[in-house]
Amino acid sequence: MPAKHLRSSAAFPRAAASLAAVLVSLFPVSGPCQITPEQASQLRNAIGTRVEALTILGGDYGIAAANFRSTGKFSFGESADATVTVTKLGGAGDIGDPQPLGSLPIGWQPRLQGNMGWLDGTQHLHSDLVAGDITEIKTYGIEFGGGARLWVNDRLSFAPTLTGLYGHTAETYTANSAFMHANLEAARQMGLVDWNVDTWTVITGVDFQYLIALDRTIITLTSTPVYYYTASFQSSNVHLNVHGDSGTWANMIDVDIPLGVELYGHELRSGGYYRWTGLYGDLRDGLHESNLSEIHGRVVLDFLNQLWKVQWIGIGASYVWGANITGWSAGLDVVFRF
Amino acid sequence: MRELSRRISHPPLFALASVLAGCWTAPVATVQPHGEARLIQGAIAVTSVKDTAVVSSLDRSAGIVVLRSFGKPETSTYKLAPKLSGLDDIKAGDVVQATVTEDLTVYVLHDGQLPDARGTVSVDARVLMVDPSYRLLTLQYPDGQKETFKVPLGTRLEQMEGGDSVVIRPLEVLALRRRG
Repeated sequence: MPAKHLRSSAAFPRAAASLAAVLVSLFPVSGPCQITPEQASQLRNAIGTRVEALTILGGDYGIAAANFRSTGKFSFGESADATVTVTKLGGAGDIGDPQPLGSLPIGWQPRLQGNMGWLDGTQHLHSDLVAGDITEIKTYGIEFGGGARLWVNDRLSFAPTLTGLYGHTAETYTANSAFMHANLEAARQMGLVDWNVDTWTVITGVDFQYLIALDRTIITLTSTPVYYYTASFQSSNVHLNVHGDSGTWANMIDVDIPLGVELYGHELRSGGYYRWTGLYGDLRDGLHESNLSEIHGRVVLDFLNQLWKVQWIGIGASYVWGANITGWSAGLDVVFRF
Repeated sequence: MRELSRRISHPPLFALASVLAGCWTAPVATVQPHGEARLIQGAIAVTSVKDTAVVSSLDRSAGIVVLRSFGKPETSTYKLAPKLSGLDDIKAGDVVQATVTEDLTVYVLHDGQLPDARGTVSVDARVLMVDPSYRLLTLQYPDGQKETFKVPLGTRLEQMEGGDSVVIRPLEVLALRRRG
């Protein structure tokens, strides 16, 4: 079934801002660094939570589900002065027609999902001692997994899945302030700036789906709870580790409307969806968001059974918002059916 | 109090029952469709790609090619499309990939009969699945093979269902490409 769209990284700016504030508070204006082991540990824990959140945000298909997406830009208000760009190329889909599951009155299809994602966040710091400094985070992730969709009847199905996600996150700190010029090396040695970390994430979830046909219009209701466990296996600083639990619960209504008009031999279709995604655990803490909403619209040409494995090609746009962020994406909307 | 709790609990139960109503069953083309024997629609123009067809004969001057599916004795006669090119390389006996147009006629039949003693119909395939939204009509041939067609706007798919009988009339070859 259909395609979906873009995601954002909201929390990064606020998380970065709070980290910067902590960073500043830990260093004296002059003289040697006075940070205690407890304070450094707290700060690294905050970094770990942020890495976990950004890895999921940038690398997981589900939270930003899309079959083909463009780049989105997100802003966080003037006070944050930060932007995050998330680019994803991925998808999830059921393969072939449902087949009988033994002698049970249940149909099943194999389901595959995968994603490649990039996240690039930049924050210009303005607070007192670090004014003029820039912190940049880059994350990329590769995800692959699968499961099965089980059809209870012609309308209701559910798809349990298991997915693995590899993530690499690196932070670069550009010190322009006199304060950080004096303390950059100390911060670096403590693993608070200029760090990088490799992570793996195990993702398990269930995608419940209910189809409603109104004349030729298809309405799809989905509800997808997902659990993430993330841990690091390599980092630039021996004290910088990532491990934690996150969760999402996405609920979506998608409407797919054939317009009855052909263009170049292909029927025009319109539609879109509204999705609400609740964020839980470290993902919520790392992004400083409890939920995200997304509204998406599209105009596409139907290629199903006319071009190999292509369901539609068109354009689409999304608007994403949460308590602290807004974002958008626009671009090519392509959905494949295998 | 009991009445109140019953009122509260019934809507969710009703909704649940509605959602779960019926069990999943694999589509079947050999069932008897509902309703009286009738013609549902004729002259449904479709395009089909025959991946492995054998050229039984080719008459360039008459603009006729006879094809049969690989491993089957039945043949179908098509006209050559006016702009069809590459025929010089094709000869009888060649295995080709053929893009053809065909007309589908869909019936509800009872025992292969049309109503009012209008005679029997030689059925080529049965309807297996119908997708009105994307205008897909999946047929199953007597040998079990399936083929999905994109049917034109205006096709009365809402009246079609699994088990309907389909007569296929070959029309024209749009492209021929020799395989191997």
